[in-house]
Amino acid sequence: MNQYWQAGDACIRAQDQPALVLDYAHRRELAERLVFPGTGLDGWDLPDADRTLTPEQYLRLLSNVASGLKSADTSFQLGQHMLPGHFGNISHALTQAHSLRDAIGMLRRYQLPLSPLLAPRFAEEGGLGIVYWTPGFGVTPMQGFLLEMQMTAFSAMCRWLSGEKLPWRFCFNRTQPRYTEQFEVHLGPRLRFNCQLDAMLIDAAWLDHPWPRGNATAAAIALRHAPPKAEQRALLSAVHDYLLENIRRSPTLEETATAFAVSPATLKRHLARHGSHFQAELDQVRAHVALMLMHRGHDNDAVARHLGYHDANNFRRSFKRWTGMTPLLLRQGIQAFMA
Amino acid sequence: MLRSHRPLIFFTSMAVLATMAVYATGGSAKPLAQWRWIDVAGEASIAVMACSWFLVVLSSRPPGRVTTLLATGLAGLMLGAVADCLDEFFSVPKGQHWNHIIESGITLAGMLSLTWGLLYWRQEQLIVTEHLQKRERVFRDHRSFDQLTQVADADYLRAQLSIEHARAEGESCLLMLDIDNFHLVNRDFGQREGDRVLQAVTQVLLLNLRNTDLLCRYAGDRFAVLLPSTQADAAYALAEHLRRAVASLRHHAQRSGQPIAPTIRTTFRTVDADPRQLLKELNRALERRMPYAAAGSEAPGVAPAHA
Repeated sequence: MNQYWQAGDACIRAQDQPALVLDYAHRRELAERLVFPGTGLDGWDLPDADRTLTPEQYLRLLSNVASGLKSADTSFQLGQHMLPGHFGNISHALTQAHSLRDAIGMLRRYQLPLSPLLAPRFAEEGGLGIVYWTPGFGVTPMQGFLLEMQMTAFSAMCRWLSGEKLPWRFCFNRTQPRYTEQFEVHLGPRLRFNCQLDAMLIDAAWLDHPWPRGNATAAAIALRHAPPKAEQRALLSAVHDYLLENIRRSPTLEETATAFAVSPATLKRHLARHGSHFQAELDQVRAHVALMLMHRGHDNDAVARHLGYHDANNFRRSFKRWTGMTPLLLRQGIQAFMA
Repeated sequence: MLRSHRPLIFFTSMAVLATMAVYATGGSAKPLAQWRWIDVAGEASIAVMACSWFLVVLSSRPPGRVTTLLATGLAGLMLGAVADCLDEFFSVPKGQHWNHIIESGITLAGMLSLTWGLLYWRQEQLIVTEHLQKRERVFRDHRSFDQLTQVADADYLRAQLSIEHARAEGESCLLMLDIDNFHLVNRDFGQREGDRVLQAVTQVLLLNLRNTDLLCRYAGDRFAVLLPSTQADAAYALAEHLRRAVASLRHHAQRSGQPIAPTIRTTFRTVDADPRQLLKELNRALERRMPYAAAGSEAPGVAPAHA
């Protein structure tokens, strides 16, 4: 049964990521009156084990800390220590991950504790491993901050567990910010802005390279004690997953609503509450699928057919609407970055 | 900051109340018809403004001689204005002059104290400027300081590089350095200890730079040093010197006392491209562990490093 969390549901354990953010703000001597408003929290002490925050409250905490510290490195510094984190058995299992592929799998399975506000996704195309991120509860002005934080968290964790700096390439779906030095130092020199996707790319050969700390048995035991894989995902993440699975059939709002056992009107309302609508979600998934297929080397006709378009011209027009670019230009861009 | 000045604030408040009490008891209230509203408004606003200057000074400076003199001076100006204002509400019996003494005397004393304070403040500034020399160079912009290490940040560095690039007189070099495996310090000892290591390395670097050099924290554990009027071989020698200086540092973890011995790797090149390009090349060179950052060439007169 498909279910989803919404931005107002208390689903994020305060002891997980929020506790790390509190600790950082405390260490940077940020005033309490700047940190706590709107977060449901009221003191520096470690929150109780059963305390939960809504995604809205956690986002507010992050934006309070960001605007209070007024420093370009906040998201990157927070990210440095967010993973594997101190989230009990899940963190313990992550520490024992035996390869990059294994770590990505755990990140995907336990996204609510490990990456509460952004959904991590994975694809393997054209000899590349691609970890990309989509919004869990809607696009907010904090989107860039969240991406910086989660990408730093994941790449720093990989660097620690694998014992070497992995040659990631980073793409960002935004214009180049003024503080590129933070990206260069915390993520690395291979950066690209104005991309269609917020993604980390790596040669697929690295995916199964064994990690020195890896211990499959220990990880399995730790995960046995972890809460069962959360069935419930963030609303936009769940809808994205459903559309991705069914993209070749051109899914409709009605079908999607049925899959989540709600009425179309309810789903529409829920999406609107998260600043989105059905067509926007569908377009986004189509654009991502088209990008992946192009990267695999499919030509426009093949991509158009895959997405259920009968006419390649029609597809070209749609593609331009989704991405602001023609397929040809985008292809050239991808090749230039990979060269 | 205001909390540490409680006694001064208390005495000033008492002095204001005392002045009011003196006027209320020694003078007789003027009828409403004689109040001159323009004077009341003007004098009251002078008092309010002097009061705000008083608070600004106290809230931005630690206790000390200069602070006390400046604050006392401003408090005197405020008291004078308060007395002036009270004059509008109370008339003083003919033949008594105490109101003039309060008004002019306190104001004059305040101005003397303020002047005296400003002279000391100037001395203090000269010392602070000297202290900041290796951290700021040429112009001051308080928004561009990194909070943790108290040296300039990447924005400031870019501004300085633009100036240096545009000036194009004599040769300047930019040195960039990175702490080896700094992330392991953070993982093993915690981020707090990592912060302390960064501060310790900053101090070592500052102690080993010349007065004309500018140290910046680029981001994370990466620093940049602008070396004005410096040839490549001198820059290389300085880089090596900094590397040895940091290698001799032993930081002791606060909780366990365990020694942490950070090491750095460095790269440099002459400032002959626009800042963006220059920084990009230096960052690449650091990632590839190249001691001299220019595509495919050796530094003039410099032996391959770490050989």
